[in-house]
Amino acid sequence: MNTINNTQHEHPEPRVGVYICRCGGNISDVVDVERVADVSRHIPGVVVAKVHTFCCSDPGQNTISQDIQAEKLDRVVVASCSPFLHELTFRGAVQRGGLNPYLYEHVNIREQGSWAHKHDPAGATVKAIRMIAAAVGKLQYSTPLDQIRLPNHRKALVIGGGIAGMKVAADLAGRGIPVLLVESSGRLGGRLNQWNRVFPTDAPAGQLVTKLLAQLDENPLVEILLNCKVTAVTGFVGSFQVTIEGPIGPAGAKTSAQATIGAIVMATGFRPYVPDDGEFLYKKDPGVVTMPEFIDLMRGQQAAAGQLVYKGRTIRSIAFLHCVGSRQIDGVHTPRADGKINSYCSRVCCTTTLQQALAAKERFPSLQVYDLHQDIRTYGRGHEDYYVRAGKAGIVFFRYHGDEIPRVEPADDQRRGTPSLHITFKDYLTWGEELTLDVDMLVLAVGFMAGDIPDLINMFKLPVGEDRFIQEIHPKLRPVEISVNGVLLAGTVQGPMNIEETLNAAGAAAVKASAMFLKDVVELNPYVAQVDSDLCQGSGACVTQCEYDGAIALVETRVNGKSIRQAKVNPGLCVGCGACVAVCPTRAINLNGWRLDQYDAMVDGLTADIPAVAAATTG
Amino acid sequence: MTTQLHKTLHEDIHLFGGKDVDLCMNCGTCTVICPLAREEGGTFPRRIIRLIQTGQKRLLLKSLDPWLCYYCGDCSENCPRQANPAETMMASRRYLTSQYDWTGLARLFYNSALTEILAIVLVGLFVTALFVFLHGPMVLSTPVELNTFAPVKWVELGDWIMAAVLSFFLLTNAARMIWNTLDGKQMFRISPLIYGKAVPVFFDHMFTQRRSRQCGSARSRAFWLKHLLLVTGYLSMLVLVLILLRWFQTDTIYPIYNPQRLWGYYATIALLYPTGAFMISRWRKKEPIHFFSEASDWIFLVMLFLTALTGIMVSLARVNGFPMATYVIYVIHLSIAVPMLVVEVPFSKWSHLLYRPLALYLVSVKKAAAAIPLKTQPETATA
Repeated sequence: MNTINNTQHEHPEPRVGVYICRCGGNISDVVDVERVADVSRHIPGVVVAKVHTFCCSDPGQNTISQDIQAEKLDRVVVASCSPFLHELTFRGAVQRGGLNPYLYEHVNIREQGSWAHKHDPAGATVKAIRMIAAAVGKLQYSTPLDQIRLPNHRKALVIGGGIAGMKVAADLAGRGIPVLLVESSGRLGGRLNQWNRVFPTDAPAGQLVTKLLAQLDENPLVEILLNCKVTAVTGFVGSFQVTIEGPIGPAGAKTSAQATIGAIVMATGFRPYVPDDGEFLYKKDPGVVTMPEFIDLMRGQQAAAGQLVYKGRTIRSIAFLHCVGSRQIDGVHTPRADGKINSYCSRVCCTTTLQQALAAKERFPSLQVYDLHQDIRTYGRGHEDYYVRAGKAGIVFFRYHGDEIPRVEPADDQRRGTPSLHITFKDYLTWGEELTLDVDMLVLAVGFMAGDIPDLINMFKLPVGEDRFIQEIHPKLRPVEISVNGVLLAGTVQGPMNIEETLNAAGAAAVKASAMFLKDVVELNPYVAQVDSDLCQGSGACVTQCEYDGAIALVETRVNGKSIRQAKVNPGLCVGCGACVAVCPTRAINLNGWRLDQYDAMVDGLTADIPAVAAATTG
Repeated sequence: MTTQLHKTLHEDIHLFGGKDVDLCMNCGTCTVICPLAREEGGTFPRRIIRLIQTGQKRLLLKSLDPWLCYYCGDCSENCPRQANPAETMMASRRYLTSQYDWTGLARLFYNSALTEILAIVLVGLFVTALFVFLHGPMVLSTPVELNTFAPVKWVELGDWIMAAVLSFFLLTNAARMIWNTLDGKQMFRISPLIYGKAVPVFFDHMFTQRRSRQCGSARSRAFWLKHLLLVTGYLSMLVLVLILLRWFQTDTIYPIYNPQRLWGYYATIALLYPTGAFMISRWRKKEPIHFFSEASDWIFLVMLFLTALTGIMVSLARVNGFPMATYVIYVIHLSIAVPMLVVEVPFSKWSHLLYRPLALYLVSVKKAAAAIPLKTQPETATA
């Protein structure tokens, strides 16, 4: 006989086991767990109610598994910590006991009980009882559920051929997963092609690109599409249908290709901030350049020349200004076209500035180098060395406050050979003294701006943060995943990162994507909407309400020989938000695992007149 | 007022011994550790280092902070960057001395030991020449007739001429210091009453250096006593030579307990012992203040030591009846003492005998002026 007890019919009355955890005192110091067990036994349907010091321990789990067999339980409730911690643990225990894992309810009487109501033990005890009653009530209407299994196409798409995309592609292909790497420009390497030497190793940026290129070249699983763009996507995790356009053919005609993809990694990168015309005299005075422009002009300098020359002018003094386009303050800085300011720190510019300033000083020792910062954030390994060395090399540091932006004006004396820029600021390392500095060149250490990818954002429904970067689910616990299942983030598409951090993120995204391909099916949790075809009248209200393209649609169905339009859910795309449930005029849609009758039963459980509850309240 | 930055200031300070200014990252540990800075509103040494690093010359010239530091070395010992704030303060005192001096000689001497030695030798040779050509009869019988060889009234006249010349330079330099630090016109707005009331501060600090006793733990307890001894030594010398020369330089040999001889011996010990001890300390780098020695430091100590040494030798030769030795050593004595005074007092290290108490006096004046709300500019209040 099949030991999995999937039916309610074997026992006309449900047989529920309730397990209350002391959590080693975390719960039982406040909640009277023995009393909770006593009262729980009186809840209709409860056969067993036990207290355990650590339900999550092996003995605790074994008690549950064994009781299912011995007491012929067909439903289980564990009242313990947050379900984030141990819901899966106890589902496993229930499954080992021979029950469907979804015939299990987890009640949180720690975070929502003993910890929240430390000073009200009686109230916490009553609350625990009511929550257990609600869970038992819900379980009466629970049905066995199975994970949704969908085909998984073993191929990854990486969008963006910068350092992050290259790393993801190399890692995935290295694990035997076919990769399609799509790059919109004609060359791999992205921003790294713009830089010269990169911190903290001071190795040429090109070296990194070359190494990754070699890895990609030698792996036949990598398919690189240059000058191409992803123009359309349908489907869901495990089977995305992607349309890629380009490259422009010899006749000028675009070619278009389709691919079926299991997982997608977004590695579209960032844009350097471009100052407005006139911001710090940018574009108004030839001596004002951005950091990328400075890196470029340093590359063009003659190796043997003793002096820095730019646009025919000898540069004798140079100032670096930090935080241009970063850490902007509301009311101080002019918002961008979208009405937002860049309040974030771009993280990379401090070390870059020190590295570049130092490189300039070392190459042209007679150069006077000044550094104007709000703070020096050289946070990574080896970054602080640049600061120490910059100080020793005679680079002079000034500190301004973010709400008193340095003023840059053309110098009064405009004769040839004299400094052209006049910078006025308050220096808070000299107690707020107002100083002026005459320099030949001003380098604006521009920060990061989110990449310009509105089409991709629309296409994939990418979650965009307040800072315009794509936002992960959880910055610490799920750092490369987004709310779109099967789509991962790699690198600066997500926010300012240096090259090391970008590669770490890319490595993590590659591992996450690889893990998706461990099985040839995609398993999704079963909490998705389900339409009752007996009740559905085809109003279409659910389709209008649904936020997820393709998750629910009206389709022609034949019922009793008649063709009618009814709602149909695509379980791959449904996220189980329940919006459709709320708008259905005929209550034809339910969310598996969270059906409306279950909610009713929970409310009944919470409000039930349990005699002992009253006693506990007054006691 | 906006301060225009002076791009070469830190290089300038480097010439005066401030060699580690660039290492400073402005953390402020030096200021926190300094008990004197705490009392003065907690700005130096960091502020001075900052002014030098960034080239804020106007504010450095205006600052009295360097003179408020007595160099205990606590800041250098605790500096996380080994930027030697104490030595930077020392260098800034040398720099300020050269900036107050309008002749440019101070700058010349500080930046070239050779020039300083040359100047001393030249003045020394001039003094020797005066005696070679203008000395009185050399009586070679005993008792020694020093006043016949070098009549006291002529020597006294020389003293006074020298004192007048030195005072002229020193006082004009001091006037420039006052002008710089009180912002020119500002100095005329302060009531004469305030200037008058603060005068005791000047003499108090000149004679006692009491503030240096609050210095940090790196300084030995005996340092203040040694320095005080030295001060009494050279003040004695000044009084004996400038005011009491007729009483001090006699041919009569008084008994050993006579004040004339006792005071002389006291002055000798008060000069020889500290200068000797300081030279040993500089050589062995014992006290933090003696870790770094510029040529100007050595010249000052050696000259002072030699002056006292030759002085006592003159006395010994005279008392013991060696006429020729007395005359020769007397000439050597003056050929050391005079150039030392001429070079060191207005143009080099010894000028601190005036600048330091004057700085404390000016601080006190500024504080009193700032306490009166009207007619004083806010800048004074923050300085």
